[in-house]
Amino acid sequence: MSDANRETVIEVRDVCTRFGTAVVHDRVSFSVRRGEVFAVAGASGCGKSTLLRELIMLHQPDSGALRVLGEDVLRLDEEGAERLRRRWGVMFERGALFSAYTVLENVGAPLHEHTRLSSELIDEIARLKIALVGLPASAAAKYPNELSGGMRKRAALARTLALDPELVFLDEPSAGLDPLSAGGLDELIRRLRDLLGLTMMVISHDLDLLWRVADRVAILGEGRVLGVGTMEELSHVDHPLVHEYFYGARGRAAREQACSQK
Amino acid sequence: MPRAAPPTDHIPRAQFEQDSARGELRCSGTWTLNHLAALEPALARLDMSGRAGWVLDAGGLAALDTAGAWLLHRTCERLRQLGATIELRGLRAGHAALLEMVAAQHAPAEPTPPHRSRLERVGRVAVEGVAQLELFLSFVGQSSVALLHSLAHPRRIRGHEFLHELQLAGFNALPITGLLSFLMGVVIAYQGATQLARYGANIFIADLVGLSMLRELAPLMTAVIIAGRSGSAYTAQIGTMVVTEEVDALRTIGIAPLDLLVLPKLLALMIALPLLTVYSDVMGVIGGMVIAKTHLAVNPADFLDRFEKAVSLSSYMIGVGKAPVFAALIALIGCHQGFQVGGSADDVGRQTTVSVVQSIFLVIVVDALFSVVFSWLNI
Repeated sequence: MSDANRETVIEVRDVCTRFGTAVVHDRVSFSVRRGEVFAVAGASGCGKSTLLRELIMLHQPDSGALRVLGEDVLRLDEEGAERLRRRWGVMFERGALFSAYTVLENVGAPLHEHTRLSSELIDEIARLKIALVGLPASAAAKYPNELSGGMRKRAALARTLALDPELVFLDEPSAGLDPLSAGGLDELIRRLRDLLGLTMMVISHDLDLLWRVADRVAILGEGRVLGVGTMEELSHVDHPLVHEYFYGARGRAAREQACSQK
Repeated sequence: MPRAAPPTDHIPRAQFEQDSARGELRCSGTWTLNHLAALEPALARLDMSGRAGWVLDAGGLAALDTAGAWLLHRTCERLRQLGATIELRGLRAGHAALLEMVAAQHAPAEPTPPHRSRLERVGRVAVEGVAQLELFLSFVGQSSVALLHSLAHPRRIRGHEFLHELQLAGFNALPITGLLSFLMGVVIAYQGATQLARYGANIFIADLVGLSMLRELAPLMTAVIIAGRSGSAYTAQIGTMVVTEEVDALRTIGIAPLDLLVLPKLLALMIALPLLTVYSDVMGVIGGMVIAKTHLAVNPADFLDRFEKAVSLSSYMIGVGKAPVFAALIALIGCHQGFQVGGSADDVGRQTTVSVVQSIFLVIVVDALFSVVFSWLNI
């Protein structure tokens, strides 16, 4: 999976972000290639989610360059931004499902908005996506507040995939899930990547997910990228924060489990 | 900055052709979401008569996504249901895998719930209305018990919240209440001025403004303003806390939501509204005095002299005495509707509307009841 010649889908170059006097990013750089699951990890508050918000045009960095799907995100007019938004899907940490709509309507909403398909076909495609993420057919008619946390995440993923995006951003997909559901979601992410050829950027500090799903991982800390590579490569990086990540109690357990499965 | 247009021209559009003579169906082009709208009518027109075996040639497919795969799968399924046999040919490995995945997820639509008759809907609305009333009454009961309990044990009253609510509902409402009351006094005096001047009864402007403001308009208008201003805020605040599970969190920590969220508001409003009413009385009378001076040449001194004789203490007390009742109504309805929020952002908006409409409605109904009762009692 480490084919360096593949097209670059996301390029982050020397991004600096400050909130007041607090420096969140100090020249962060990395790139994501087509077809890989790229994870961004790091402790809470290290700027993972801010980086995601910058990539999806919800926040402007103070300096640096961001290219997504070949477009310069920071110098995009409204029309270009609209076109770009249709090519990616974003799943927010808490799902952000529209609470006034049923799951079916939630998943169908982007289709109604951006395509001219018949309502009948849109409903069928939405049902397909709902089944694809592993939700039972009965979930389609339910409202988000009638679903469990895990089901809500899956429903959010179904909506993210509604427009068949080339690139998917997932913010903490397994946060707040029990290990079984989280494991199921890991599998799902891999399967969708393999089947649909998606490029995925995952924000997560779930070690199981990092070991089992991610092709490459960037670890953020102290405002910089402390290391980029496969988990195996990263485990040899000599930095106290990275070291902590791999050789803390949970890190070791996750690693052993991942190795034993291989 | 001009940008090169995306090279869409040379991309073959999604196409579907039927060759009935050879029994062939040909799919070609990009079967992706953006291009599918054009395909739908063609697929709907598909005519399968006169032939049982068909070959679907997908060799020309340049791209396929899940939506396209679903359309392909659906078409095949429909043909099979009509008794035709389909042989897929020329499908690329990647596309075949996608089609297989889509086929595996085939999910039948849930049966839609049966249509309800009009009679049934009327019945349901009625039952729901009664249930709502019951809920509200039980809420009033619970709040009264909690209120009596905390009056018996004043230490349990949350002083900080109480003062905060007093400031929000009372002090912060002074400018808007004052301005509107002043204008109301101006309007009444202005309307009355022409009539009174015709009969040379200029001085009776004090009776007109004094009685109407103190007895009826000041308490009613202040209550309506506060229902729109604070009642809605109570519903929105508690409703949002229900959505974010903060109310549940309070319960688990062992803080009764009634104690923390309802009682301070109830007590604060029951104190603030009478005070605001008095303030509104004063501002309304000042408004009347301004018009009396400018349009009827009645000096403020004469106005006040007449005012003292015209307006009895009981009129004033009746006006101010209604205010705590209105306050209790507004606070209880506002809080109750907040707790009725189900869990969606939509609910917060709906319950806030219900809260304001109900509290204004009830304030006016109760005011009418007061009038009837007072006329019986001859006060």
